[in-house]
Amino acid sequence: MGFLELINFYVIPGVVLGSIYALGAVGITLVFAILRYAHLAHGDLATLGAFLALAVVTALGLPPLVALPVAMIGTAAVAVGIDKAFYEHLRERPKIVTVMASLGIALMVRSVVQVVWGVDSESYVRGIVRPENYFGLRIKDREIYTLVFMIGLVGVLQLFLAKSKWGKAMRAMSDNPNLALLSGIDNKKVVMLTWIIAGGLCAAAGVFLGINTELKSMMGWHMLLPMFAAAILGGVGRVEGAVLGGLIVGIAEELSVLVLPSEYKAAMAFVILLFMLLVRPTGLLRGKVL
Amino acid sequence: MKSKFIAIAGGLLAATALAGAPAKADVKIGLIGGVSGPIAAMAPSMVSAAQLAFQQVNEQGGILDGEKLVGVVGDSACNPQGGTDAATKAVNIEGVSAIVGPHCSGAVLAAAGSVTIPAGITVVTPSGTSPEITGLDDKDTVFRTVPSDDYQGRALARTLKEKGYDKVAVAYINNDYGTGLANAFKAEFEAQGGEIAGFAAHEDGKASYRSNLAELSSGGADTLVIFDYGDGTGLTILRQALENGFFEKFVGGDGMKSDAPINELGAENLATFVASSPVGEKSDSLDIFNDAYKAAGGDPDAIFVTTSYDAAFLLALAVEKAGGDKAGVSAALREISNGEGEAILPGEWEKAKKLIAAGTAIDYKGAAGDHNFDAAGDVPGTYALFEVGADGFEVMVEMK
Amino acid sequence: MELIGLANYALFMGIFIGIYALLALGLNIQWGFAGLFNAGIAGFFAVGAYTSAILTSPAADGRLGGFELPFFVGWFGAMVAAALIAWPIGKICLRFRSDYLAIATIGVAEIIRLVIKSEEVLTNGARGITNIPRPFGDLPYVQSQLAYLAIVVAVLIVAYLMVQRQFNAPWGRMMRAIRDNELAARAMGKNVEYRRLEAFIFGAALMGLGGALFAHFNRSITPEAIDPMVATFLVWIMLILGGSGNNKGAILGAAVVWIIWSVSEIATDQLPHEYAVKAKYIRLFLIGLMLQLVLRFRPEGILPEPLRGDTRADDGAVK
Repeated sequence: MGFLELINFYVIPGVVLGSIYALGAVGITLVFAILRYAHLAHGDLATLGAFLALAVVTALGLPPLVALPVAMIGTAAVAVGIDKAFYEHLRERPKIVTVMASLGIALMVRSVVQVVWGVDSESYVRGIVRPENYFGLRIKDREIYTLVFMIGLVGVLQLFLAKSKWGKAMRAMSDNPNLALLSGIDNKKVVMLTWIIAGGLCAAAGVFLGINTELKSMMGWHMLLPMFAAAILGGVGRVEGAVLGGLIVGIAEELSVLVLPSEYKAAMAFVILLFMLLVRPTGLLRGKVL
Repeated sequence: MKSKFIAIAGGLLAATALAGAPAKADVKIGLIGGVSGPIAAMAPSMVSAAQLAFQQVNEQGGILDGEKLVGVVGDSACNPQGGTDAATKAVNIEGVSAIVGPHCSGAVLAAAGSVTIPAGITVVTPSGTSPEITGLDDKDTVFRTVPSDDYQGRALARTLKEKGYDKVAVAYINNDYGTGLANAFKAEFEAQGGEIAGFAAHEDGKASYRSNLAELSSGGADTLVIFDYGDGTGLTILRQALENGFFEKFVGGDGMKSDAPINELGAENLATFVASSPVGEKSDSLDIFNDAYKAAGGDPDAIFVTTSYDAAFLLALAVEKAGGDKAGVSAALREISNGEGEAILPGEWEKAKKLIAAGTAIDYKGAAGDHNFDAAGDVPGTYALFEVGADGFEVMVEMK
Repeated sequence: MELIGLANYALFMGIFIGIYALLALGLNIQWGFAGLFNAGIAGFFAVGAYTSAILTSPAADGRLGGFELPFFVGWFGAMVAAALIAWPIGKICLRFRSDYLAIATIGVAEIIRLVIKSEEVLTNGARGITNIPRPFGDLPYVQSQLAYLAIVVAVLIVAYLMVQRQFNAPWGRMMRAIRDNELAARAMGKNVEYRRLEAFIFGAALMGLGGALFAHFNRSITPEAIDPMVATFLVWIMLILGGSGNNKGAILGAAVVWIIWSVSEIATDQLPHEYAVKAKYIRLFLIGLMLQLVLRFRPEGILPEPLRGDTRADDGAVK
């Protein structure tokens, strides 16, 4: 099989998928680092974000990229609300209880989406779009947007974490929560900020998944395992790690069809996850082992 | 807290008692389907098609002694646990005389094995296509108005070969529907001398199938046969194949014959897409049903609505013929649809009622086929190949 | 609705409650005793169900089988198979901290489901296995349900007694010690990894048995039964609600949650059709909400774990 074919049909879809996973994985890795537990409702928050954007698109007729900020804000608000209503009260208990609660939240968010929007497949725009040909590489505009937005959003986040006061507060909490508290950092605000960022990124992941494929009520849940694999692969707490992990998982999933029977494609993310946990739990970029 | 839960449980049981209380004089037929779960998008129209049949019965004189025929909806969630639960409730709490459904083969097998066969309640499934249902030891209580995947797969293979498709690739969804169709298709296609240049299963719900498609097309076929659901992953595959120029011609099983590809992809892009679907031999029945269903606000092209309607109408006729005796429904079902007797078309309840009362033999000719059940309760079915026309799907050719 | 209908429904509910109680007991060993977050119950359930099916059903084309062994051999085989699968999984995954274990077990259940769906030679793939024999299955409806319920209850009682005995024995105390303070237990020389693995395997064996009982009740088993919602999440909420760490709580939780789950559907089915469909999803929402409320307001469940760790009569001398 030609090199160009490999790029066009395996690598490029892998990169697009990987960007979507990366957006979700960054949120997961932040929650892991700052709040110290696995948030199992991340996938379904992405679904919610995608459908919120759909509501805007159908109501106002705007293109989905314009609806993206609205979806991000909406999902961020929902994430903060969920934290205040449910997770906050479990903060003093062992973290595993919150993980269990998040499994229930995933179910709740999913059923809200199913009640409000139904269970049919939807999409943002009708019709098909054939890819453009750039020197033999076949890429669709929307795929370029996905990659560009992912890099942009993550870049902004990195700047925020590195330079701004609140970003530094978040990093301090991630490294040593007790010390951070001692030096006067407002715990609650940092947590709220974390959820705002995680919720917004989730929404972006969901919207781009919807742009590149269709919107279905289970779309987020199916992404959960790959997103976790990406976060752990990159190293928990490392934002660049999550991006790298996401891209690797996405490309690996697509390439796996070359070696495995195609029905096992879904297992690829899990294999990566298991492999990393066994061999190098700190991940590629040496994050934390919680 | 303990007392709260006991109160909730008690309250719900009371609600159950209340549920059973009214409507003593109604005759009930269960409508069990995958209302929630993987086929949730397809279930509502199937249920409404069955309800149309009951509505016609009630408008034209009611059932048995002018009683109202009520369809009781139950949710199987397309899995065995839900199927048995819904069937048990339908049989024991609602006291149904017969059941239309469940929709998914796994739920059919479980509900039959645990509830309806021991209880002797007749079941007609409008969409359970697994060949396993044929082999059920069911004391003749399990029937279907949809042919087994074996039949459709083979018929499609023969028709494609006749129309000159010699080399195809097959993509099928990894569930009992897809695997059944794909295996039957492959066996017959190769037996007819055709070549299968790619044969791969895929899981539901992934974001990209481009790599799957690339693998399949590497065999050199120009036609892709998709055994999947047009409302679900089949749409994704079709879309990505079209967008990336993987194949030129596309063929789908009955699951692909849905409005979603036309709505989402546009008829202009589907010029080379054909799909097979079960149809009635006499297109009269189908036309009558289509008109009636459209008038009631339904979409006649939705998947399995014809089989659902037929199952419901057949069971209503059988209950009428059995005179209210639940155990006699299965024998009655055979009698009213065995190819002998005065023809009854969809919606002709009044006529049928008179004939049954007079003791004349009747034979129902349904929208999805004649439904002359064989010994195992299966139907051979007739199929047609549909292409995308200006106004939805149009029949291209009958399939043998 | 006649009395016999209600009786049949009650018998049916009893059988399902019994099966789910077995699953909850198994989870209680893993979570309640040993603190292991197993989010892959569906996988062990499936392995047990399919093993029993393969061992006891008649031969079929292209599939391993045709042994037609008696049903109790199938059930025993189910337990052994689930335990055998749990062993490597435990060895690999138990060293992870609890939320990693949760993710890993979700993945394991997913892999098991994929293998079952795809390997036709072993499991008949997506078509499932039918004609599984059911003990007393040929009796009339009421009697056969009654007989099966009796069998399920008998199995449940035996399992409960065995688990309860272990709970009160030194083994149980050691498990709880490891769960509550691993460092101390390790310092006292307990082989923590081995004990955890033991708990994981025993729990998995019970889950496999539950799966086998389910398959034989329905006389068939198909891959859709391995749905994470119905097979995994429901059992979790049963245990949390009933009281984790308490065997009676596991059984009580199974009963309460299953009754609410099943009967609430009767209530929603009374609504007009469009709302009935939406009501199904609202049901799921309420189940998720119920979990949140229990975790927040009554995390120990209806029947809390016995404080001193055993349920032998307090001889009063301590106070």
